[in-house]
Amino acid sequence: MQTEAVMAHHEHHHNTDAIDVFGFWLYIMTDCVLFGCLFATFLVLNTMGMQPSALKSHLNLYDVLIESMFLLASNFTFCLAVLNLYQKKLFKVQLWLALSFVLGASFIFMEVTEFIHLAKEGFRWDVSGAASAFFTLVGTHGLHVTFGLLWILLLIIQMPLLKMNQVARRRMTYLGLFWNFLDIVWIFVFTIVYLMGAI
Amino acid sequence: MDHHELQQPDYGTGQKKLGIYFIGFVSCTLLTLFSFWVVMAAKLPRLETFALIYSAAIIQFLVQLICFLRLNTQTEQGKNNVLAFVFTGVILVTIIVGSLWIMWNLNYYMMN
Repeated sequence: MQTEAVMAHHEHHHNTDAIDVFGFWLYIMTDCVLFGCLFATFLVLNTMGMQPSALKSHLNLYDVLIESMFLLASNFTFCLAVLNLYQKKLFKVQLWLALSFVLGASFIFMEVTEFIHLAKEGFRWDVSGAASAFFTLVGTHGLHVTFGLLWILLLIIQMPLLKMNQVARRRMTYLGLFWNFLDIVWIFVFTIVYLMGAI
Repeated sequence: MDHHELQQPDYGTGQKKLGIYFIGFVSCTLLTLFSFWVVMAAKLPRLETFALIYSAAIIQFLVQLICFLRLNTQTEQGKNNVLAFVFTGVILVTIIVGSLWIMWNLNYYMMN
């Protein structure tokens, strides 16, 4: 086993940390499969000889663009927090994490507002298969981001207690993988759902 | 970074450098703006628009993998991460292309 070779070279807790992070990476990969299934459902229900989706007439691409920018900026500020963690600057870590939280929360706020707007205009989740697929896909992503936001809050509170140690690094690595992964899923959401839906 | 910092395990996520994050952020922003501009300007035919926004999405995906997720094969763990990632890619292609293929065929034979 490769892990045995690694164990011979590193301290024990570094090695178990490495296995833990790999386990978290595998969880992210299974989440990819979940999103893959939702994308497949969305594509089948929106393209294969179905009625043209009613989404087009309700879309506001400017809002989607601003949402995308919020999520991308949030991702970047999170990376800055990680960078400051490695330089052991507690206040800056908390500051960048707080900014990531605000940007992510703005994203969720715009998404919820959009859902309410769509529902008011009659594009509800129960009007068609295409609508159900839309709300399930975008909603699942939104739910992931919401949990990521709670996680960021927890880390802001934990940061002074963890004193920039190994545990803090490991937890930031988990959240970093999760947060970047959500941004990557969003690339495909805005391309496949919104941009293709608007053409 | 001093010697102590370099010894920190990176969990296969590469060294943390501001420059790489910044390049990633700027190029992702530009690619996102480009995708939206192509669709909103609506100057090109449907097929060309599809090709452009999908190319932009795939380039942005790769940029995010390299600059933010920092996938690399420098360390043993980095290699394991990439291996798991490639396997997931195979499953995703099977699920998505397979679904579309089957449903396209069903649709075709029911309509013709």
